[in-house]
Amino acid sequence: MSADGKALIEVKHLGKSFGSIQVLKDINVDIHEGDVVFVVGPSGSGKSTFLRCLNRLEEPTEGNIFFEGVDIVDKKTDIDRHRQKMGMVFQQFNLFPHMTILKNLTIAPMKLQGKSRQEAEATALELLDRVGLKDRADAYPSQLSGGQKQRIAIVRALCMKPEVMLFDEPTSALDPEMVGEVLNVMRELAKEKMTMVVVTHEMGFAREIATRVMFMDGGNFIEEAPPEEFFTNPKNERLKAFLGKVL
Amino acid sequence: MKKKVFALTMAAVMAAASLTGCGSKEAETQAAAQETSTAQAEGEATEAEETTEAAAEAEGGVLVMATNAEFEPWEYHDGDSIVGIDVEIAQAIADKLGMELQIEDMAFDAIIPSVVSGKADIGMAAISYDEDRAKSVSFSDNYAGSSLVLLVAEDSEIASADDLEGKLVGAQTGTTGELTATEMVGDSNVERYNSYFEAVQSLLTGKIDAIIIDGAPAKVFLSQNEGKIKQVGDALSNEEYAVVAALDNTELIEKINGAISELQESGEIDTIMNKYIPAE
Amino acid sequence: MWGNFSEQFYLNFIQDDRWKYFVNGLKVTLIITLFAVLLGVVIGLIVGVIRSTYEKTHKLKILNFLCSIYLTVIRGTPVVVQLMIIYYIIFANARNKIPIAILAFGINSGAYVAEIFRSGIMSIDQGQLEAGRSLGFNYRQTMWYIVMPQAFKNVLPALCNEFIALLKETSVSGYIALQDLTKAGDIVRSRTFSPFMPLMAVAAIYLVCVVILTQGVKILERRLRQSER
Repeated sequence: MSADGKALIEVKHLGKSFGSIQVLKDINVDIHEGDVVFVVGPSGSGKSTFLRCLNRLEEPTEGNIFFEGVDIVDKKTDIDRHRQKMGMVFQQFNLFPHMTILKNLTIAPMKLQGKSRQEAEATALELLDRVGLKDRADAYPSQLSGGQKQRIAIVRALCMKPEVMLFDEPTSALDPEMVGEVLNVMRELAKEKMTMVVVTHEMGFAREIATRVMFMDGGNFIEEAPPEEFFTNPKNERLKAFLGKVL
Repeated sequence: MKKKVFALTMAAVMAAASLTGCGSKEAETQAAAQETSTAQAEGEATEAEETTEAAAEAEGGVLVMATNAEFEPWEYHDGDSIVGIDVEIAQAIADKLGMELQIEDMAFDAIIPSVVSGKADIGMAAISYDEDRAKSVSFSDNYAGSSLVLLVAEDSEIASADDLEGKLVGAQTGTTGELTATEMVGDSNVERYNSYFEAVQSLLTGKIDAIIIDGAPAKVFLSQNEGKIKQVGDALSNEEYAVVAALDNTELIEKINGAISELQESGEIDTIMNKYIPAE
Repeated sequence: MWGNFSEQFYLNFIQDDRWKYFVNGLKVTLIITLFAVLLGVVIGLIVGVIRSTYEKTHKLKILNFLCSIYLTVIRGTPVVVQLMIIYYIIFANARNKIPIAILAFGINSGAYVAEIFRSGIMSIDQGQLEAGRSLGFNYRQTMWYIVMPQAFKNVLPALCNEFIALLKETSVSGYIALQDLTKAGDIVRSRTFSPFMPLMAVAAIYLVCVVILTQGVKILERRLRQSER
């Protein structure tokens, strides 16, 4: 469907409340195939909640989200099947500590996509090689550094051959010297035209690889622009104030 | 049926309570003190003169008696007090010795450790002399006797002890009934309960085929469960009961033997026996 | 003193093959404990999963309610009372005591195991559940492949301690005329009227069992920590 120019993800009137607190208000966004969307904004603005609504880790309280034309907010939709096509990378990596790296990477393709062990391992090893961690296939997560863990987490999501990758502050929990290695992997992905939605505080990185940058504040997108324009010529006052603080 | 369930639940709750109660020494002694006073009151009714004498001589010391008051008519709870043949005989002995009787009710298994460790001076709970036992505690002369009988369910085909082979026979652990059962049907066919009450419950529900028990409490159980259980066959053996004390406490045993023979001569023991076990 | 000791030893263990009571009693104690633990783990796993699922997702409301009644009743009453109720009332006509004891102790242990499992499951970071769900696993698969193995590993020492506790709790089996280790001591005591030696023997046997099991748990814990590294 996305081939004919329709959006891969269409967000319509999305709202999310926790009890009486409204976190997201009437959000409307289209994300197209190949888009590298960076979502930035102050803490507590709802960026992560928005991202987590996209694969329904948070249940939206209003609106619809169409993924490949199917409304995934609809309770009748088999969300688990759609999640297989939406890779997610977490701030805290969330690798499975009781499994080796290889097992971390192969369990979902084997159990969910019916891949044979050989097939799943071949894919996993190839991807591991590309992120430079092939030699750690038999290690346990606790034996890896934070940067290595996050690279593995990205590979774990990629092993499912997703249509879109969601990144929830992927470098926020890393020591500064490890940020680069993770960003490199993401940069490679962007080059390969992977559709990505990234919530981050890495403004320089956003400017470098994003196709679109969106500023969220108070539960809604206030400004959206290509990166150059976004950073050099912000229009909204709140965005200006925000950029003034973080740049 | 409902009544039975209730009784059992109560028994279960009480058993648990007595278990947990072991921890609270204070409550125990308090209860014991109460029991003592009621036991004395019992004695007062029959021998008013002697009781005043005993009270005057209470400095003769306290005679602590360990028993298991679940064996009517030998010793059992009646209202708030512990009564029974053993209790009254013990009271009579204490009076003779010029001592104050104090009753401690406990699990049957705990009587001997209490006596051996000196927590109690004597144990009286329809205890029979046995050669092996005499290596650990000292026995007085026999003060009373009874016989063992066989109880079965009303519809049972067991007619006498000869039919017991291969059957499950229940008894209270450590009683002569249990020892006899072990001899008769072999170790693995004996069901050893903590009290005869539970053995009777098991007989009623068909968990066991027969019970071997002292004739006197058998009568009580028979009257409580009329039409459900019956006594069959002849008396199995004659039982003689004695007081036990610590092995090295020969002085006390001698005094008790003296008291027992006096009480037997005066007919007091017979009076007590007849009071609880009316002649047929 | 030693003359008396050997005489007492002979009386309590050798004469009439009394040592057999202890051996058979230990056998009964171990059989009841082992199978009760297995039953307890099965019950505890089911109840623990139901309870933690309710806490995480607010689903299974009715099952959770039933489970909390079960936990309240079982943890609110002494095991000996439960044992007697099951033997004398619920299975009034049953003769086979060992299965009933296993059932009673298993049901009892299940309540404690359930809470061990529940806390074990709740102690697993929510991120693990989210990572599993984000890959496309449903709730049950995520629990099975990702949360439970970690929770189980975390609670294994606590489970072993429950096993040890249960071993000692089975000492009330005598209340349903079962000849477990404690009852074996009681029987010998009733034969010999010697409180010291049978009690000490029973205590020593329990102690040896518990020490062996405790050492086993320690080794297990060390192994588990190693694989984490």
